[in-house]
Amino acid sequence: MKYTAREIKGNDNISASSPVKDFFELIFKILGILLAVYIGLGFLVDYLAPRISSSLELKLGRAFSKKFDEKPLSKEEKELQRILENLLKHADSLPKFDYKVNIEESKQVNAFVLPGGRIVVLNALLKKVGSENEIAMVLGHELGHFAYRDHLRGLGRNLIALLISSFLFGSDSSISQAVSNSITNAEMRFSQSRERAADIYGLELLNKAYGNVSGATDFFEKMGAEEKAGWFFYIFASHPYPKSRVAALKEAIKTKRYSIAQKIPWPGSGE
Amino acid sequence: MGELIYLIILIALGYFVGTRVERRHYRLIEERERNLLHLPAVCGKDFLEDRAISESRLVYGSVVVSTDYFKLILAGLRNLLGGEISAYESILDRGRRESVLRMKEKAVGADIILNLRIETSRITEMGSMEVFAYGTAVYYNR
Repeated sequence: MKYTAREIKGNDNISASSPVKDFFELIFKILGILLAVYIGLGFLVDYLAPRISSSLELKLGRAFSKKFDEKPLSKEEKELQRILENLLKHADSLPKFDYKVNIEESKQVNAFVLPGGRIVVLNALLKKVGSENEIAMVLGHELGHFAYRDHLRGLGRNLIALLISSFLFGSDSSISQAVSNSITNAEMRFSQSRERAADIYGLELLNKAYGNVSGATDFFEKMGAEEKAGWFFYIFASHPYPKSRVAALKEAIKTKRYSIAQKIPWPGSGE
Repeated sequence: MGELIYLIILIALGYFVGTRVERRHYRLIEERERNLLHLPAVCGKDFLEDRAISESRLVYGSVVVSTDYFKLILAGLRNLLGGEISAYESILDRGRRESVLRMKEKAVGADIILNLRIETSRITEMGSMEVFAYGTAVYYNR
């Protein structure tokens, strides 16, 4: 048999599609899938958060406890714990937890709640506090989040990560603790309506515990005075515009006819 | 953010340099294929003419090809979703044609190469492989 070689014309072994087009198509597809998963997880959190039982929540809370319970309580923390326990005596509709308050170093002026009854106050917030009543209002507000079970939803998508790692590895494992560490550093987000509801809960608790509501608006007034951004930046923010919170609290004080009295000085304020 | 910029630079570099190198390589391959058209290489063994054979021997050519960063990422993305990894097609095609050319270049003066075989083997974890072509070069009596 005679074989005659011919020049190869064209190349059937290589796809005609452009690799750059392929590249962007794949990137967009994968990003689209990730986005869908992310959004789906958000819905899942909203579904799961109100359905988590107190006992499961206690278990989840253990993932955070090591970080906070290792250190002995500072003088300020003991003082905060005393105020918190005084509030708890008057509080109702709270899940049965062993409520604890801790202070954490941060430049952010904020306080947040963790599963299982722990309140974390950032030290930048404490520096601004002028009276016991004022910090009691902040603690009461955070207790409001526990009462309305906002805090689990506030963990957002981290809740899913925490649930999964607690189920797979146990809540005391180093993996769950790594997950919980990433959560404590992240900012908790609640919707503005949840924040307002917690404000009112705090106000009522303050009145029950102290017999008056002095200092209830102090903290938000300070935040409002420092706030340089206008109200329109708060339309999409997680927390309500401080000045409108103050107005809402004052309105509630008026309609409920709460009284104002002498404020109790806060030892940490140095005033 | 820094890592992302680093990644984008690597991908862009891989794409532009890789495309240039590929285009030049194809030009060379096509030119050499034309020049070596007088020496056919066939897979079968029944292509002998009815002439006396003076010599027959093993000839082989080997080439190691590697991917560029752009193709590596593209294939990695494709791995997530499945489907044809067209990014690697051109590298393997170049590898096969280059190894056959090197084999032919070894068979100086031969009339035909019979029993051509092409084999590939992976030599690193990510994206490099050897393409090896071998066959029997036949020299007729002149």
